[in-house]
Amino acid sequence: MSARTWALSEDLTTAWVVVVVAVGVLSLAVLSWELGRLDRRRGWVAIIGMLATLTLGGAVLRPVSIETHGSVVGARVVVLVDGSRRLLLPLAGETSRRDAALEAVAALREHFDSARLTLLEFGDDRLEPFTAAAETGAARSPRMLDSDLVTAIRHLGDQSVERPQAIVVVSDGRLTRPGEDLEGEPLSTILGGLDVPIHTVAITHETPADSSILRVDTAGAVVAHQPFELRVEVACVGGLRCGTIPVRVRELRLGADPVELASGRAEPTSEPVEVALSIALERAGARVLEVALDPPHGDTISDNNRRYIAFDVARDRIRLLHVAGRPSYDARALRMWLKGDESVDLVAFFILRSDFDDTQADESELALIPFPVDELFTQHLPSFDAVILQDIDAVTSKLARHLSTLARYVETGGGLIMVGGPSAFSGGQYAGTELERVLPVTLPEARQYFDATDFVPRYSTAGRTTPILRALRDLLGDELPSLPGANLLGPARSQAMVLWEHPLLSAAKAPMPVLALGEAGDGRAIALAVDGTHRLGFGKLASDVGGRSYGAAWDGLLGWLMRDPRYEPARIRLAKPCIADEPMSLEVVSAPGMSGAVEVSVDQLGTAASDSRTVRAEGAKTGTVAVPIPPLGPGGYVARARVGASPPMRFEFACERAGGTFADVRPDVARLRRIAEATRGVAVGLDGVRGLPQPTNVRVAAERHVAPWLPAWIWSAAAATLLGLYWFARRRGGLT
Amino acid sequence: MSAPAISRRGALLGIAGALTGGPLLAFGDAGAFHPRLLGVGGEPLTGPRATAPSHWTFELVRRTNAPGNASSPIVRADEAALLAEPFVIWAGTREFPELSPSEIRGLRTFLTLGGMMVVDDLEPERGVFQRSVRRELGRILPEHPVVKLEPSHVLYHSYYLLDRPIGRVVGPPTIDAVRRGKNAQVLLLAHDLLGALARSRADDWALAVVPGGYGQRERAVRFAVNIAMYLLCSDYKDDLVHASWLMRRRARSRP
Repeated sequence: MSARTWALSEDLTTAWVVVVVAVGVLSLAVLSWELGRLDRRRGWVAIIGMLATLTLGGAVLRPVSIETHGSVVGARVVVLVDGSRRLLLPLAGETSRRDAALEAVAALREHFDSARLTLLEFGDDRLEPFTAAAETGAARSPRMLDSDLVTAIRHLGDQSVERPQAIVVVSDGRLTRPGEDLEGEPLSTILGGLDVPIHTVAITHETPADSSILRVDTAGAVVAHQPFELRVEVACVGGLRCGTIPVRVRELRLGADPVELASGRAEPTSEPVEVALSIALERAGARVLEVALDPPHGDTISDNNRRYIAFDVARDRIRLLHVAGRPSYDARALRMWLKGDESVDLVAFFILRSDFDDTQADESELALIPFPVDELFTQHLPSFDAVILQDIDAVTSKLARHLSTLARYVETGGGLIMVGGPSAFSGGQYAGTELERVLPVTLPEARQYFDATDFVPRYSTAGRTTPILRALRDLLGDELPSLPGANLLGPARSQAMVLWEHPLLSAAKAPMPVLALGEAGDGRAIALAVDGTHRLGFGKLASDVGGRSYGAAWDGLLGWLMRDPRYEPARIRLAKPCIADEPMSLEVVSAPGMSGAVEVSVDQLGTAASDSRTVRAEGAKTGTVAVPIPPLGPGGYVARARVGASPPMRFEFACERAGGTFADVRPDVARLRRIAEATRGVAVGLDGVRGLPQPTNVRVAAERHVAPWLPAWIWSAAAATLLGLYWFARRRGGLT
Repeated sequence: MSAPAISRRGALLGIAGALTGGPLLAFGDAGAFHPRLLGVGGEPLTGPRATAPSHWTFELVRRTNAPGNASSPIVRADEAALLAEPFVIWAGTREFPELSPSEIRGLRTFLTLGGMMVVDDLEPERGVFQRSVRRELGRILPEHPVVKLEPSHVLYHSYYLLDRPIGRVVGPPTIDAVRRGKNAQVLLLAHDLLGALARSRADDWALAVVPGGYGQRERAVRFAVNIAMYLLCSDYKDDLVHASWLMRRRARSRP
């Protein structure tokens, strides 16, 4: 295909061209007016004047001829295929909505055979090429959780490539955005940025018979110990007779079977119904709940009958139980520090009298109440975030019978601090008990329970790097006060971290732990084998820093016990939402100063027999390490990460097969129709692809020749000559 | 499994050992009640009152589960040893001159770190010692004036249920104190409490109580125990779980 055309000089703007033409026309008009005033005709003056004006204009504008050679190509058409996992929903027979989408793509290829098709998948916050592999190979499964058409259109507009002449959306219509209520002008505004018609292809009209959890949410923040309303919306569609559907909520804990928190009944009709369940979570931090319904007979999709949801449970106040075996300066210091913290709700019991004490008074003259040990450790224990056992004998205080309960409390998420003294650890008859199992140290059963020699604890390598003691080290450096003896402990457990160690005593050929901490099941425990930490707040060393060192140490210990992020050695997060049975990765972000190999172990929640998967990765100087995790099944999980020699930290998360994408299984053909109407497009079904309008082909120039009509010097010489003649003719004709 | 290493008997034996000459310290003693004497301004305890701090510890250990250290060393206000433990007794009878700047500094550090001091006027009838102490407290903690403790203060129910302070003399029905925050850190007693606790060589009460009677002596000992328990437990008995129970018991004990 060839074409010939012309143009004016390309180095002059349109404005200058207009000015030149205007000046030329004006000069001719003046000449005409002048000639009209003469009594004789002077036609030759007019002819020479016109020629002079034209050649002068030509010299300025320098017209050129353009000859182009090119071809006509098909119009660019973008096909946006819904990449949401919702398209895995089955259709009649052995097919799925994804198969229908592939069929639509094949039909579009055939229909737009003369157009240039760009096939893209949309869903989350990105556009991905829809490749041949996606149509036929292993990547047949969509991996996105959303169907965000608005973001997809915006991304198309941001691309610096040829604008398409038409967009074709292949979907079931159940889009995340635009919302189902939008139509007309607002819809046109949102999607019409490209000013391109959007055609839609509905891949199905078929609603499967299904009951589902449509939505799970809460009225506000979830706070530990405080009841909140969990709203579960249940739908019943596709002509299924649902009747009454039982709904139950269970908490998934580590190393234990799921704990049922609430249950209710839903009676959905043609409209979804909401079931409000009042539940309370006793532990702060991330908690994974399982919300499930018992489907009626005939339910065709099982994956939307159960949701696994990770809740971030906030803490209003830390509720602590402080039990001291006897009053002492150490118990006093800890109590005063805890009472001084407005965020702590403290319940304290000090054993002020033993069976051997002679009070010299009648009971009515004493301000003593019985230690409600049975009531505390049977009824109220779950309401506490942590328990502090300070120098208390398990047997004489009648605590021994509750040690297994206390151990289970820790393993299901509670915190425990055992503070030293003559009646702590082995001296308190805890060795060989259930509680020893959750302590970060082993307890020797030797006859000697403590060493009374004054000593200065020594920081371990982990103690020097951990954020837990950073504030204390900022105040005192490596210095610590001399402490009056220590409980004799065995070696630390394999997953425990020793922060302080004894400079002289050893346990299993390693320095004896003095301060150790570790995870125990779902909870955490701290062993502090001295009863003199009050010297961090009172004494010569403490006076140099205004006594702040005591609070700095206990802030860190309690903060770590309560999983305060400030004291964690790292943060763990999901690189992207966890999809069951698909490869995933966790990102471990180390705190400043932390380095070393990263070890991540993953355990399933809600099962007594957990299958731990451990993955190691090398630490990076940037502080962020991506750790690939093998595919996990649907459920709740806890990941524990250790960076170098730091104490472990944990992160609870949920894996679902489809998340909320399977919640509403109804196709939304009406929405696709509204989108087409709002953008001057055409809405069709699978069988109507041939009815989509063909866009106009595009002419593409391949070769272009530009040649001036005359060389510039000829224009200039002609203009100069004719202007001279014009001047002469005007004089001869009587014009000045 | 053997019994805990520090038993009540062991503690009492330790006190006995201390009384007979040598301290018998063990693990756990660092946090035990230890009535040290402040050696500034007043004069060293002489005569039977010198036994009072040890007997205070003895009564505390005998009657309660609290550990005690029966020695009663004298610490100066300007030495680092003052900061070794959070309790000190300042007792005397006479007026004394102004403390030196280093002594003021030492006592201010002791109190600002959270230490507790009991000021016992051994001759409350004259009151000159306490006047001197009040003058010096004005220099040590000028921003914390002396106030009266309310009758419902935890000091009166930290172990025994008491209705007033009492010592060798009945003295005023209330206690003046210096409070920092919620804590009464300096108790100003005008009751010669150490006099009520003093023992003779024959291991009997050394000084007669005024106006007299076994009841007064016992109440003075109980008051001393309550002070020790307040030191070791702070306001523990004001916790909600105790308060309602104690209110009911007090109501029952009233005629």
